[in-house]
Amino acid sequence: MLGAILGYPVYNLVRLSLQRYGLFELLQHRGVPVGLDNYRSILGDSVFWHTLARTVVFTIANVGLTMVLGTLIALLLVRVSTWVRLLLTGGLVLVWAMPPVVAVQVWNWMTNSQNGVLNYALTELHLGDFFQHNWYETPFSQLAMTTTLIVWGALPFVVISVYAALSQVPHELVEAAEIDGAPGWRIFLDVTAPIIAPVLLILTSLSILWDFGVFTQPFLLIGQGHIVPANYLMGIYLFEEGYVKTDFGRGAAISILMLAIVAALSVVYVRRMLRGAAEAEA
Amino acid sequence: MTRRGGSRLGWNAVGLVLFAVMVFPVFWMISTAFKPTDEINRVTPAWLPEHPTAGHFRDALDRPYFWTDVKNSLIVVCVTVAIAMALAFLAAVALAKYRFSGRRLFVVLVIGIQMLPSAGLIIPLYVVLARYHQVNTLTGVILVYLTTALPFSVWTLRGFIVGIPKDLEEAAMVDGSTRLGAFLRILLPLVAPGLVATSVFAFITSWNEYIFARILLSDSEKQTITVWLSYFLGTSRSTDWGALMAASTLIAIPVVIFFLLVQRKIAFGLTSGAVRG
Repeated sequence: MLGAILGYPVYNLVRLSLQRYGLFELLQHRGVPVGLDNYRSILGDSVFWHTLARTVVFTIANVGLTMVLGTLIALLLVRVSTWVRLLLTGGLVLVWAMPPVVAVQVWNWMTNSQNGVLNYALTELHLGDFFQHNWYETPFSQLAMTTTLIVWGALPFVVISVYAALSQVPHELVEAAEIDGAPGWRIFLDVTAPIIAPVLLILTSLSILWDFGVFTQPFLLIGQGHIVPANYLMGIYLFEEGYVKTDFGRGAAISILMLAIVAALSVVYVRRMLRGAAEAEA
Repeated sequence: MTRRGGSRLGWNAVGLVLFAVMVFPVFWMISTAFKPTDEINRVTPAWLPEHPTAGHFRDALDRPYFWTDVKNSLIVVCVTVAIAMALAFLAAVALAKYRFSGRRLFVVLVIGIQMLPSAGLIIPLYVVLARYHQVNTLTGVILVYLTTALPFSVWTLRGFIVGIPKDLEEAAMVDGSTRLGAFLRILLPLVAPGLVATSVFAFITSWNEYIFARILLSDSEKQTITVWLSYFLGTSRSTDWGALMAASTLIAIPVVIFFLLVQRKIAFGLTSGAVRG
């Protein structure tokens, strides 16, 4: 029965993607089978390809920043005094706990062009004149602001997980390398990195999964009124094509294409989880 | 020694700056919530409210639909968590303890659903709910939340149950306890912490959920509190930032409290497969 609850939406998704299913069909509760027409129309849509390219770049930037900063902060946690570590970990957990919609509103407030504190702080730090600077002028800046929001929210999970993995690295190994006179970055690459590699891989895959399909943050931060094809991400493209234009068949086809891409991008995570499942089987 | 001490001091300084940067948005939200409007709109902001006021909190609470939507959120979240825990616990026990045909398929399904970006499920769920006239009802939202809360809960609970030695249960049964008795007296108390952690996590994810609630609930008196908050900015040029930040603070508080309670238990669940190799 549980399997039915879970499997039904997926079955429906596949079936919908092969139908013409608009508002009329929604009221009739019956779609018109059209074969692969939805897929053909999407793959022939230049907005789809542009959105896909934009989303891939966006995902690489977000995941890259999250993973690099997250690992660096985790390494920092190992080096600081205990009280600083506790303070920083506490702060990270607090950030982690912030609901995304709340975080978006705080970002809106901090970056509003009238009296946003970001404009004030950057101007005061003499990093340029940001007085009444509009942070949401171009698609690039809109997505860049979205990136800061997403990376900020994603860091705590990554830092805490990597730190947990780091604490499993045997002390003796690192000390032996230090005595041998190896520089810090060599110790990291040759001793630490191989041990925490599995965790880094899983975290990267999970981040790809999340960032590729992200919706709430860009949708609310850019604002529905400012959402245009030039700043679409895949999650928003799906929302606009499927829900706003009430073309559910087409939306379902986009979902399936997204799933295929995400699955390909996060093969590592999928394989690990399936192996875990196989172990559960044994 | 002094060199090491010196570099530690440097790292500490970096750590403190980092702490300040990460926590600043949360601090700024709370600080703004307590400032009178003229302090908020000042060009040169003060870091702390000079004349703290609770007025914005009153404004936020008095806004139309705040309490209705909080109530909606609570109904949706509590029903979702209750049903998800009951079903997920049984499924997790079945998965961890007993063999049955189709088990492999079940595990793959659980993992597969967890992988789907929620955006991918909006369309089929919307269509299915429309068929049964459950669009714009809380029941519809609860059903949708179950599809995401269930797989997660099954998977997490399974991890907690697998850790319990089978001998314990068998010993109880040898001592004349029935299977149900062993289940209630041995298994349930041991899994209780896991159940609490999982349900709190399900509570938080449902409370924070936005996209499904936004799409499924169109009436103001039926919306959940995240949707309410997302409409706060509206279209007016002069936004009431104080009330917005006060409302944000209020909505974040239950989540933060719950999150602090269970963070340690859940945090490593997601990557535990990797750590164990």
